[in-house]
Amino acid sequence: MFCLSVIKDKIPIHPQHFSIPAEETITAELNKKYANRVLHDVGLCICVFDLSKVGEGKVRYGDGFLWYEVTFRMVVFRPFESEVVVSKVKSSDEDGIRLTMGFFDDMYIPAMYLPQPSAFDPNERAHFWLPGSELTTATELLDTPTSERMYIDQGDVVRVRVEQDEFCDDEPGPVKVVEGVVQEKARGRPPYTVVCSIAEQGLGPVAWWNGAQVVEEGEEGEDAMEEG
Amino acid sequence: MEVINARSALLSNYEVLTLLKELESEHLARTKAIQRIKKEDEASGKGVIPGNNTTVVETSENLRTVEVEAIGYLGADYLPTSGQTPEGITKLVKALEPYELTKTEKLQIVNLAPTTPVELYVIVEELEDRLGERMDELLENIQTIQGTSTVAAPVNGVSEGAQIIQEGEGVATWANPGGFEEDADAVYDEDMFDDTGEGAGVEGDLDAEED
Repeated sequence: MFCLSVIKDKIPIHPQHFSIPAEETITAELNKKYANRVLHDVGLCICVFDLSKVGEGKVRYGDGFLWYEVTFRMVVFRPFESEVVVSKVKSSDEDGIRLTMGFFDDMYIPAMYLPQPSAFDPNERAHFWLPGSELTTATELLDTPTSERMYIDQGDVVRVRVEQDEFCDDEPGPVKVVEGVVQEKARGRPPYTVVCSIAEQGLGPVAWWNGAQVVEEGEEGEDAMEEG
Repeated sequence: MEVINARSALLSNYEVLTLLKELESEHLARTKAIQRIKKEDEASGKGVIPGNNTTVVETSENLRTVEVEAIGYLGADYLPTSGQTPEGITKLVKALEPYELTKTEKLQIVNLAPTTPVELYVIVEELEDRLGERMDELLENIQTIQGTSTVAAPVNGVSEGAQIIQEGEGVATWANPGGFEEDADAVYDEDMFDDTGEGAGVEGDLDAEED
């Protein structure tokens, strides 16, 4: 889920911080620049792990800052493909489920990665799964009694498999001004999205599988769940 | 900026949680120091220029946000991370060696500490072909090393042991796992003592000076 990335950068240190040990200020500046931000094709930066190499501080023409060339290691959130992670359901809609990990919200389960047969219940605003059912269309599924359905509710803790991740680096574009007032831009695509799947035995809400403790085969797990 | 290696090493959840907790305690110590400096300046009647702390670096807001949220996630009770110890993880990884698992599979086992076969199925590919009969043994290993805090049902060995004690016989068999657990605890305590000792010392100093 987390990994270390080696990054090289030039960092300016303001003269007011010269009395503090350089290592501390450099780490603080790096954290200010990177923490909680998505680096394209790298992942979501959490914090600096350590500094591996720091060059001599240099003063450039134009300001009084000391510029350090730093090579450092960064803790980065980037789950690898096919990794199993535990997450929480943030919201559901017709297209799928959105997950949250607290510090990262752009995780989605598209409807195609839900266990089949499943459908979206607009009354409950949640997807449900009908294990072992022969029905296929959404209308047929919505006619079934509610007691048989296995709902994936908001706030449920789910175990998911990471299928793919995608980085978008959208240009900010020009500022829109209407009658002299700067318009706030609608939020575009998130810079980093993770697509997950729960269409597999053992995946989905953790509570589904807790009942099936002494199960050897996935099929038996299904039976146990139907009883429970 | 230049990315030299986007993925030079993998980190376990426990390592990240420890790092973030260290940062958190450092941050707390720092805010205390800032407050103390403010107080001293006020007491000595010096004019304080706001935002001009020359001796202490302030933590950035972004770092605080991600720190608090990630600690909240990693410390949640549905993850085994908060109950883990460095010794426990080392033991677990050593115990996993004979099963010929890949590096990423081992990492996920450490991160998620599967307790049921279903959970293990998801993590390990072609589980039955590769492990077969040894799967239960592996699960038992994970449970004993991981500690029983996350396991709802009591582990077989423990309940057996309890029965034996009730009968007042076969104390020798009980003593073995008991001794083993005590050992693990001892190592863990020693390490933890070092950590808290450092932290407590710093806090104590600050308090003393504040008074």
